[in-house]
Amino acid sequence: MRRFSMPFAVWATLFVTLFCGLVLFAFDYEGPRVDSLGLSSESLAYDTGAANLVSAIYLNIRLYDTLLEVLVFSVAVLGVHFYLGPRGVEEQVEGIPESHVIRTSAGLLLPVIVVLGIHLVLFGHVSPGGGFSGGVVAASGLLLCAVALGAEAVGRRFHETFLERIEWGILLSILCLACAPLALGRLPLTDVLPQGQVGSLVSSGSIVLYNVLIGLKVFIGTWVIIHFFMRHRGEI
Amino acid sequence: MTIARGALLVLLPVIAILALTRRRRLAAIIAMGLFSLILAGVYLLAHAPDVAITEASIGAALVTFVYVLAIRRTGRLVVVGTEVPGLLQREGARVGGLEHEILAGFARHLGLDLVVRLVSREDVVAAVAQGEADIGGGGLVAGGCGEGVLETRGYLPTAVFRVSRAGQRDVEQRSDELARGYLNDVTDAVRGGKGLDVSLDLARFVCVSRLDLSGYVVNRLPGECDYTFILPSGREEMQRRLTRYLEGLRESGELDRAVGRHLT
Amino acid sequence: MGVLNGVTVAIILFGIGLLGLILRRDLVIKLLALGLINSSTILCLVSLNARPDGAPPLLQGNGLGAMVDPLPHALVLSAIVINFAILALALVFVMLLVERYHTTDSRRIEEEVAREEGE
Repeated sequence: MRRFSMPFAVWATLFVTLFCGLVLFAFDYEGPRVDSLGLSSESLAYDTGAANLVSAIYLNIRLYDTLLEVLVFSVAVLGVHFYLGPRGVEEQVEGIPESHVIRTSAGLLLPVIVVLGIHLVLFGHVSPGGGFSGGVVAASGLLLCAVALGAEAVGRRFHETFLERIEWGILLSILCLACAPLALGRLPLTDVLPQGQVGSLVSSGSIVLYNVLIGLKVFIGTWVIIHFFMRHRGEI
Repeated sequence: MTIARGALLVLLPVIAILALTRRRRLAAIIAMGLFSLILAGVYLLAHAPDVAITEASIGAALVTFVYVLAIRRTGRLVVVGTEVPGLLQREGARVGGLEHEILAGFARHLGLDLVVRLVSREDVVAAVAQGEADIGGGGLVAGGCGEGVLETRGYLPTAVFRVSRAGQRDVEQRSDELARGYLNDVTDAVRGGKGLDVSLDLARFVCVSRLDLSGYVVNRLPGECDYTFILPSGREEMQRRLTRYLEGLRESGELDRAVGRHLT
Repeated sequence: MGVLNGVTVAIILFGIGLLGLILRRDLVIKLLALGLINSSTILCLVSLNARPDGAPPLLQGNGLGAMVDPLPHALVLSAIVINFAILALALVFVMLLVERYHTTDSRRIEEEVAREEGE
């Protein structure tokens, strides 16, 4: 907000304040509605077999939205890959010097982060979590690894050998899983696995599979973004 | 619970305004990370644990990290200078010296890349006057650079020595101004024993004095003058920042240590 | 809940983000303000039906209290992750621009582009 002509700044502030005030007073918000929507929580849980109602919604009832959102995520990661890929590796910036403190603390923290990520993904249908959160937490664990060991080493060991190969395979298997019920004579986008007892680990049909696949997809996508950013900068 | 949630909700716009009015980009990014963390707390108190976990891990960790990776040095600080041993000299493939160290610190302070070009003395003043370079250096003495450029306050006092020899004058003062960049000519002339009548500033004189100066008369001209940097006219803001940076260096004693490292 | 609820704060944050987007000239700060607008929208969605005495939308096995509405949570969960991916893509473009013009000032970039097109 510097070096702007004063009248413009004043007019802009006035306009935005007026707009917000209008929305605030015209949008008569009286608090949450007491009656629930047509969706009863009980029927939701027992229909889908998932104890976590949020998972039940976005991985069973509105699965189509989630599939396309995963596609949008993949396209964004593809964009990062496309625009930052052709640039070679920049010349080395002086990075964080190899520090014993960082290595030791990374060694202590990394198992915790990875276990938390796997728990969020695997138990996403029973307790809070899910594929998206678990994938992001696991990716931040890998990020810690890259800060401690150097992005080059982690990139060479993980990215080129393993992650790059399965990136698109996972997207394909998500779509295959969505169409798999056709083989069993059901409509697409419905369950494949049986629904067990609500609240246990083995329950809720193919929500577990979706969680695992989406978790892997988000993990790889986030790592790809971070890998290319680090490569573009030179070193962390 | 309601009080805690109300307190966090009141804190949110305050931190948002703080974040968007920062001058340094890094401060704004870290404030937005704090904002995400408090927002995750609000989600937790609103009984939305999934959203809270996702917002905390993405907003506080990944977004901050990705921004910090992206705001790498985003500009260039172009410096032209003449090569003066001790102040701005070539060291293999890179450039070193006292002025280089000062300007590298200044570039880091501004968050810019430092690019140094070594040219002859007249080109230094010309490049800076036209605005092609941001800073000019290389042992320039205050008051000796003519119009059209700004000077910072002198950062290092120096003296002017006059080396002369009777006889034919093969190398002469090019103009009435002080300390020039034709150091190579001067050293060649001294080695060759030719006639000379030049004024040199301290760094150049130190370089020349390592040669055999028998037969030359060395006078120290009275008066004090300072080394300085020059900037294109119109860049008062950068002149102020550079002056403030140099004063900070002098007050902390760093300048004396650097002089001890390079010039003695 | 009174005046201080999530929806009001979300609208205020939207205004702040919009002002930041208009008035700051630095491209990175503009992106930060855009992220702020994203976060404010998500806060509004989550707190539209948020009850102070509710319970998280998990079937704990001990009966059903008045649960918070799980539908906005589901809509918003993947939106947060995708916002991050799109923010990364926008940052890629900012980085490429900065490499080309050596400044993050939007006005100077506009001038340079106009000058290049005018030639």
